[in-house]
Amino acid sequence: MFETRRRPARILLQVVITLLVIPFVFPLVAMVQGSLAGTGWNNYFVVLQIAELPLFFRNSAIIAVSVIAIVYLCTMLAAFGFSKLRIRAKEFYFWLLLAALTLPEVVLLAPLFATATTLGIYDTYLSVILPLAALQIPFTILLARNFMDGIPNELIDAARVDGATTWKAFRYIVLPLTSPIAAALVVLTLIGTWNDYLLPLVFLQDPSQQTVTQVPDFFIGAFNNDQTKILAAAVVTAIPEIVAYLLLQRLFERGLSAGALK
Amino acid sequence: MNRSVRTSGFIWILPALVVSVGLIYYCIGYTGFISTLKWDGVSPNQLSVGFANYVQVFADPVFWQSITHTVAFFLVSFAGQVFLGLLFALLLHSRVRGAAVYKVIVFLPVVLAPATMAPVFRQIYAPDGQFNGVLKGVGLGFLQQPWLGQTSTSLPVIISIAIWGGTGVAFILYFAAMSQIENEILEAARIDGAGNIRTVVSIIWPGLRGTTVAIAILTAISSLKTFDIPWLVSQGGPSYSTEFLGTMIYREGVPLNAVGYAAALSVMLLILAVTIAIVLRLGGRERGAVNV
Repeated sequence: MFETRRRPARILLQVVITLLVIPFVFPLVAMVQGSLAGTGWNNYFVVLQIAELPLFFRNSAIIAVSVIAIVYLCTMLAAFGFSKLRIRAKEFYFWLLLAALTLPEVVLLAPLFATATTLGIYDTYLSVILPLAALQIPFTILLARNFMDGIPNELIDAARVDGATTWKAFRYIVLPLTSPIAAALVVLTLIGTWNDYLLPLVFLQDPSQQTVTQVPDFFIGAFNNDQTKILAAAVVTAIPEIVAYLLLQRLFERGLSAGALK
Repeated sequence: MNRSVRTSGFIWILPALVVSVGLIYYCIGYTGFISTLKWDGVSPNQLSVGFANYVQVFADPVFWQSITHTVAFFLVSFAGQVFLGLLFALLLHSRVRGAAVYKVIVFLPVVLAPATMAPVFRQIYAPDGQFNGVLKGVGLGFLQQPWLGQTSTSLPVIISIAIWGGTGVAFILYFAAMSQIENEILEAARIDGAGNIRTVVSIIWPGLRGTTVAIAILTAISSLKTFDIPWLVSQGGPSYSTEFLGTMIYREGVPLNAVGYAAALSVMLLILAVTIAIVLRLGGRERGAVNV
């Protein structure tokens, strides 16, 4: 957008942007550097030998996949209903969902805690999966409904004329068209779930049930605040996210910016 | 559409309503009930105290401080993300080498979990951390201070971390929006003699209005939700200087076991969140630009 005709101007732009990104790489460099301080690579060997480490990843994966499945299913069905079907008091239900759009999860802590203990699901995946899905759904429905509103009704009417049931029209005509929004929804839910800290902190006490966001807390306990090992653990937990992002750049950028889709 | 189809539509939205509306509204109702109790969350003794918890909320200076911090957090992180996001988008739309690399660097913090990065920031801003090291290295050694250990700098540090983590989204949104601005208009402006600054101020910036509103909305929501960074980096301290509603509710409800009081605070936060949702909904409908 800046027009640069002459060479010095072009070099100036390059210098400016390089200086500007330094604060953005700096924490990552500090993280790697700190993790190699003291006993160097040995920090990583110690961290990787912790028997619980793979469990944190496994637990996060189980929770993320479950939340994504629930969110996808509920969102697609509901968005189709809201967008294409006739439902009495439809906008009232939609409004009920939207009112929960800006709800911070911390608001749900006390009742969830009391309910989870009563139902005996405290310290199980379910006590994290259900609230995460519940908080994600209003937003994904908003996105998916907006998207489905753009699919012409004539397509569905035509299918019906040909004798297709509502389910078939949804399954074979609408669903295949929704892949862009489905991808955004999956990425958004994945990152939201994988990075969530508060719910696992409160509801998962047993180290064998905890998620990757609990790794720093766990290592602070395990290593008596040995900063180098804590940072090595941070690098180890960050790597899968960095790799996933680098492999699926466009999807991540679109999905995580979906909050402002028109 | 025949009659049976008309009446069966409700089935489609039922699962979402059960999981989302059911759970959330049940919890909200329950929170409202707990907020009238003096209760530690586990014991069977629940003492009903009416509105005493709310009276306590309004009299609690920490509550008003956390509201002030939330507003400051919103204003500064919004301004920071808009400025940096816009600048990066402009620069990367210009002729710059290695644009893909810069893009990845700016967006990567969005992907990383705040909980993962928190120990890193604690280390960077520690008295013997890298930030003070850099200051010394560039000859600004006299500025060295315990950034997280004093009330005057802890909140700005927390906000700077939020800007670090949020600029990527603003940048991607601006970057996409700028691709929509038609080249002919820019060409025409240049032919009329407008320089780079003039083009940005008079043509590009007004054209991005919808995006800026969207970023304001996203930042407002995340300001209310702020928990991970202030809790993990500074525990809301020192002396409540980085306390937000999220950290306050957690502190009262979990470590301090004042569940009734935490519930009353939750209701206050809820009222704020819903008010913002309604304002956005009405505002969004009027403008038609953003639909959040």
